[in-house]
Amino acid sequence: MIVTAAICPSPPLLARELTGRAEILPELRAACAAAVGRLLAAAPDVVVIVGAGQETATWNPDDRLDLSAYAPPVSGARGKPGLALALGIGALLLDRAGYAGPRILQAVDESAPSADCLRLGRDLAAAAPRVALLAVGDGSTRRGPAAPGYLDERAVPFDDVVQQAVRDGDMAVLAGLDPDLARDLMATGRAAWQVLAGAFAGTRPATEISYAADPFGVAYLVAMLT
Amino acid sequence: MDDVAAAPDGAQAARERGPLRLGRAEFAPEQRLVMAIVNRTPDSFYRPGVTWDVGAALDQVHAAVAEGADILDVGGVPAKPGPEVTVAEEIRRVVPFVASVRTAYPDLVISADTWRHEPARAVCEAGADLLNDTWSGWDPKVADVAAEFGAGLVCSHVGTLTPRTRPFRPFFTDVMADVADRVLGLAERARRAGVDPARIVIDPAHDFGKNTWHSLELTRRLGELTATGWPVLLSASRKDFVGETLGAPVEDRLAGTLAVTAVGAWLGARIFRAHDVRATRQALDMVGAIRGDLPPARTVRGLA
Repeated sequence: MIVTAAICPSPPLLARELTGRAEILPELRAACAAAVGRLLAAAPDVVVIVGAGQETATWNPDDRLDLSAYAPPVSGARGKPGLALALGIGALLLDRAGYAGPRILQAVDESAPSADCLRLGRDLAAAAPRVALLAVGDGSTRRGPAAPGYLDERAVPFDDVVQQAVRDGDMAVLAGLDPDLARDLMATGRAAWQVLAGAFAGTRPATEISYAADPFGVAYLVAMLT
Repeated sequence: MDDVAAAPDGAQAARERGPLRLGRAEFAPEQRLVMAIVNRTPDSFYRPGVTWDVGAALDQVHAAVAEGADILDVGGVPAKPGPEVTVAEEIRRVVPFVASVRTAYPDLVISADTWRHEPARAVCEAGADLLNDTWSGWDPKVADVAAEFGAGLVCSHVGTLTPRTRPFRPFFTDVMADVADRVLGLAERARRAGVDPARIVIDPAHDFGKNTWHSLELTRRLGELTATGWPVLLSASRKDFVGETLGAPVEDRLAGTLAVTAVGAWLGARIFRAHDVRATRQALDMVGAIRGDLPPARTVRGLA
């Protein structure tokens, strides 16, 4: 069963090697590190990283983000071409926390219907007596004219709904997010959040949001759910 | 000019492409260093007299350091012909100033642009780390001074010129071969004189004893010099070959200078003597990033 879960965003700039000589968003890094730290403090049997990918599939636990895909001169150890960004960032966060225990890298098809995501969440929750879930993904990418996806008026309301649902521990709202709207808004976190909702199905976890901001026009959310 | 045996070809004259030591600093081969020019003269070719006043010269030092200079190159005698500057006068212009800079910046690498051993000795006593002997070993005792003080030495090429003369119809069968022979020969002589090989720099000396075609050829083939492993100093800032190439007066030669800088950096030069410190620093950092030696300052585009 799920003993604890965390939500983290997945911008490549969380990989320190990719931001040049400057450290970008140290407060976001700190929030992610703290969330992962609390995840591990629950002494899970296994940490499941779930994030959107091209298809629903389990990757090798040793796979890591292929940093050279983002910055050709940078090479990461064990970089796995094709590993989804969200899984790579999740793995990086676990590595940075010094976690060497069992982990599952679970990609979920970015366009998977909500029902499939929820079912996957229920299955993952049953993977071990004590499962910690790290759901990695982002809110909308169209929060303003300077945002990577330019402005879409639906973006801010969509992110507000997600944030409020997480704040309330209301898994039904997450389960009900519209995949088509999320795709239009380039919100890469939708599928992972619905996996999370499936894992917590029938319960209302206590939650704590430690970071919610859009410094570069993408909605980043860091939260704990227990 | 004294005789310097032509450098033997190949391995014997080459050195490992290793660190360059200047003063207490050590610079890796991948670092590209800006050498900021500070003239203690009333009549240098670019902005003559602008740092003739000591206060103005010190202000320029502060600015150069703030803008990213790694080395300061202080000179008291213009390269071009003109009123005689005696040894005593050169010392008067340069040495107290170097001492002041040394006091203000204990760790800054200070180079002295001089070709005579008396000012060289005095300026080393005042704290200079590098002797920029632009006139190609005209006074061999400069190398002895460098050895005595543990200072570095720039070994340059001026063809057949004597100090403070202009080229008159210079010609070469192969200008790069002539340059390489001379500077490698001088480097070898310096090493025999006891100069620390890690402190020896070679300089093809654009414009010195060369016409514009020659300087362009040396720029094009600079890789042949850097391939020797000796650190190469590129001194092209606002020089006549840039001006003639672009049809531009001295105040309009920055873009051309930066183009030479970028090409030289790409081909492996390690020190860049410059009037325009900030622009040169930026050009070099850009080349460093393109080559993959220096990470960009801050990357967010497409990564958020």
